[in-house]
Amino acid sequence: MDSSALTRFEAAVLPHLDAAYTLARYLVRNEHDAEDVVQDACLRALKYFDGFRGEGETSARAWLLTIVRNTAYSRKGRRRVDALTTEFDETQHSDTVVDEHPEGVLLQEDAKETLGRALDRLAPEFREVIVLRELEGLSYKEISEVAGVPVGTVMSRLSRARTRLQEALRNEEGS
Amino acid sequence: MTHPGFEAQLDAYLDGELAAADARGLEAHLTQCPECARFRDERLELRAAIAARIPAFQAPDVLRQRVRAALNTAARTRAPYRLSLRGAWRPLAMAASLAVVAFGSWNLSLRHAAGEALADDVLSSHVRSLMPGHLTDVLSSDQHTVKPWFNGRLDFSPPVYDFAGRGYPLLGGRLDYVDGRPVAALAYGRRQHLINVFLWPATRGPSGAPKTRDRQGYHLLHWTTPDYTYWVVSDLGVAELHDFAHLVQQGDSAAGVSSPR
Repeated sequence: MDSSALTRFEAAVLPHLDAAYTLARYLVRNEHDAEDVVQDACLRALKYFDGFRGEGETSARAWLLTIVRNTAYSRKGRRRVDALTTEFDETQHSDTVVDEHPEGVLLQEDAKETLGRALDRLAPEFREVIVLRELEGLSYKEISEVAGVPVGTVMSRLSRARTRLQEALRNEEGS
Repeated sequence: MTHPGFEAQLDAYLDGELAAADARGLEAHLTQCPECARFRDERLELRAAIAARIPAFQAPDVLRQRVRAALNTAARTRAPYRLSLRGAWRPLAMAASLAVVAFGSWNLSLRHAAGEALADDVLSSHVRSLMPGHLTDVLSSDQHTVKPWFNGRLDFSPPVYDFAGRGYPLLGGRLDYVDGRPVAALAYGRRQHLINVFLWPATRGPSGAPKTRDRQGYHLLHWTTPDYTYWVVSDLGVAELHDFAHLVQQGDSAAGVSSPR
């Protein structure tokens, strides 16, 4: 790779480093791991940059966030994103909005649960749509590209995640 | 909530993602339904609470520096590492060449982009190998010299064949870097033309017949066996290129390396 190609890559990708770091922070929930995820993701992005340039429709930010997301998931030992999609899309699995931590179930009843903790407790598939929408301001279409699910799924996940956060907020106010 | 499906629709409306006609219908409903109107207000409160209390982060300066440094290093090491070429093959190297690359797995969701990036990678390596001094690290027409040379340099032992009897003499081998990992590169000749072969273990299943790509006047052939994935680059005619690929596949099956189905 010549230096001008690297310069082009840096110009396209580095402006989105805050967004990348924010997503990584909320996905891995740890500063140190989040930094590693962002660095790995940037290296991956560099490798695939030529492939990206032809795609047009996807913004560089959504593209980088896709790689950050996949890097974070593979780091967490998640098998395949597809498997998670099937698992969490079913409406009968609505309980799974809450993460797999056993104590999460208890905290659901905890009146003192804060909004931030409630977000933390969401299953990653729900947490990420909140972060991508509320903090990164991505469109549903972009979120669907990043998360690799249809727009309709983005819509329902976002709504269920919000309902969950709203319960936490209500409990907070009631306490 | 007494209106099933309404929540997601109202969320989409508040996000500005609802089609205009649907949005109008929803607004009409909101004026008449206090319960839904209250739901909307709660959502707006939630949005404000998130904005106020769920922070977006700034990438730390130290991370920025780390990323820049890592990118610089990666961009440099993408250039191939090679020892100098002994003079004999320079005329051949200046003529034309053929490259075969076997490679491993990559991110599923980026498979297509990665395939194109790899094709570019392979072509770049091919073109660089044509530069004086860049063709071979081990200069030998003896496959029993070339194959052991890779011992200790790679974590696999590449199959090496000599097709001199078929008009494709083995010229030598070298280490190359493709897709971020060291790969074996083998050089073959064809009349006044040069042939490069790169390979590394595949982790994906075997593909079918070799697929052809054309770039900048070169032809690239690509296929995967259960053990290796191959890329072939050359300005040779496509027919001769397929002839060569076929020889490699025959060599693989003769050596007990599975060939594509």
